[in-house]
Amino acid sequence: MSQRLSALSEEAALEQLHAAGCTDGLPVVIPTPARVERMVLASGLDADVSLGQLGPNLGEATVEKAAIASVMAGCLPDYFPAVVAAVRAVSDPRMDMTEVQATTHNLGPLLIVNGPAVDACGIASGFGALGPGHRANASIGRAVRLAMINIGGGRPGTSDMALLGHPGKFTFCLGEDEEASPWPPLHTSLGYDIDQSTVTVACTEGPHSVLCFPDDDPEVYAEHLLNVLAASLSGLGANNTHFARGTQVLVLNPDHAIALADVGHDRTTIAEALHERAKRSWSELSTVRARGSGINRHQRSQGEDPDLVVPALSSPDALLILVAGGTGLYSAVMPSWGAGPHGNGHLTVEVDLDQSCEIPLVMPVQ
Amino acid sequence: MRDAIAAARRETPAVALVTTKFSPQGDFVARSAGMPDIPRVILPHPVAGTGEKAMKMVADDIVDEVLQALGAAG
Repeated sequence: MSQRLSALSEEAALEQLHAAGCTDGLPVVIPTPARVERMVLASGLDADVSLGQLGPNLGEATVEKAAIASVMAGCLPDYFPAVVAAVRAVSDPRMDMTEVQATTHNLGPLLIVNGPAVDACGIASGFGALGPGHRANASIGRAVRLAMINIGGGRPGTSDMALLGHPGKFTFCLGEDEEASPWPPLHTSLGYDIDQSTVTVACTEGPHSVLCFPDDDPEVYAEHLLNVLAASLSGLGANNTHFARGTQVLVLNPDHAIALADVGHDRTTIAEALHERAKRSWSELSTVRARGSGINRHQRSQGEDPDLVVPALSSPDALLILVAGGTGLYSAVMPSWGAGPHGNGHLTVEVDLDQSCEIPLVMPVQ
Repeated sequence: MRDAIAAARRETPAVALVTTKFSPQGDFVARSAGMPDIPRVILPHPVAGTGEKAMKMVADDIVDEVLQALGAAG
């Protein structure tokens, strides 16, 4: 059972929560017992079921605590199954949330939703999907952040040591635009059926825009696009380029996705092509970093050979490719940290949409 | 900090090294992990990336303190 606070009004309760460091700095919905109970019911799970432990505090992420975060974030109960899946993911030891929260690097969990949950929750996947104005995206991502603050204990300067942070650490959630995509949805590439719903989590930097103009020649257009994406995935300031580790995310806008599909590419061949092209030579890398720093496995095995070529993606599987956003000239890449005991990879968890208990329209006053 | 706590739990004398800027975070982790009094030695910040020469100077400065902390831990 979570600790309860008393206040004379919701305004006073909000100030208490701000003062206690329990918010993200923005106003929250006060998590009254009745609101939290409605949220818990939407999961079909008991309130005390544990979804995992969240570092660095190693707090027990119970369904009730996830529900509190969801109420505070402004979620509708319909969104809660997606939050439960996302909290399960960030609580999984393979996501290294203790280290992700504690690092000085600027990264946060990006939530990619696939399957029927995208429509069921009303998660935006088109124009401005990562921007403001979409309640489900905004509040689901925010609920995960509030869980990381209040269950995981991540607070800036004491336990969340990101030097600058990034705006996606308020909320960072989108759906894949499965209708606009020329390929089967992302989660089917990760072992799930098309009828299942999933949240795929990768802890990344914010989106970096990638510009590519169309060309009359489809082959030339696709070639230009792959080249500029590869260059963006291997930026000289990005950790992945130096460490050769970590999942990166590529969000193709539908026009760019179709341009690649038109010349026969699918998700697998794009990942293979970008794994092959997103590389830097040792001589390039040595112009931007101190000798002996950022040692990666390629350097360890082959020494500081000027002809050594270091891949920014450890394998094609280290690139998550989804289709989202409006149509146009810009796609986006999200580089990552490439560190931590498990190497800053990604994880997919199924969203259980069909377990909701009947939620009373009006809960008794408590 | 967690490594030191893990070693201490195995009854191996351990001392955590933490830089000044990470000292509050180290305190937080030590409390979270249930061993708030794990011996620790505070280093100047930053240490990472300062080069071998600077690191040797830091090591010279703290070696007595580390030994003392390990003695206390043992």
